[in-house]
Amino acid sequence: MATPTDVTTAAAADDPDIGLRAIRALRDLADRLEVLQVGNARRRGWSWQQIADALGVSKQAVHKKHAISRRDR
Amino acid sequence: MLERFTDEARWAITHAQEEARTLRSSRIEPVHVLLALTREPGRAGQLLRAAGVDHERLTAAARRTAPLDADALATVGIDLDQVRAATEAAFGPGALDRGAPPSGHIRFADASKHALAQTVGLVGRRHLDRIDAGHVLFGVLAVADPLVDRLFQQLGTDLDALREQAAGSDAA
Repeated sequence: MATPTDVTTAAAADDPDIGLRAIRALRDLADRLEVLQVGNARRRGWSWQQIADALGVSKQAVHKKHAISRRDR
Repeated sequence: MLERFTDEARWAITHAQEEARTLRSSRIEPVHVLLALTREPGRAGQLLRAAGVDHERLTAAARRTAPLDADALATVGIDLDQVRAATEAAFGPGALDRGAPPSGHIRFADASKHALAQTVGLVGRRHLDRIDAGHVLFGVLAVADPLVDRLFQQLGTDLDALREQAAGSDAA
């Protein structure tokens, strides 16, 4: 299996199986990190608007995605 | 239909839900049925274990790709172990893996339904009365699930040969 040291730019790999799988993995990881970071920001008193601005999305989008599961609307 | 399944086959299909829950999957994928089959005492479990696909090895391999795909991340230069260490340092043990654990009933993914359809098709063609765990294994290996294919490659097991064995003799 590939290791971080033999990066073969899979994101641009010509084998769609490898390239697309990498994109999906990145998305999954980003989703996990987003949950952690949004939760942390809320605990530190950030408003939904501030979080939305930082993520570059609308307030509605970030609220819809995170507020219900976090139960701190 | 379910009454035609042997106890072992029924056990494996039921137990697949627990495998999905353990791996925090929101659906029962073919790999979860496969994991359950490695534990059953009958024909499927024997075939799998003889081919080197035991529960421990398969679980370890599956955890490399689900829920977070460490191998795929490595191909774009991300070391998931490092990311995990960093997030745990900031947010506590298990922070990165603390997604919402699936609760309640976990449903079968379409791919798993297709696998069971393959099983039913096989026993139909052969006019068999009983559907055993080996036939369930045949179905799982007949649907060309990308993750199952990949795990077999990692474990160095010949999927096609195993599928033919799983199809079994009519006397099974």
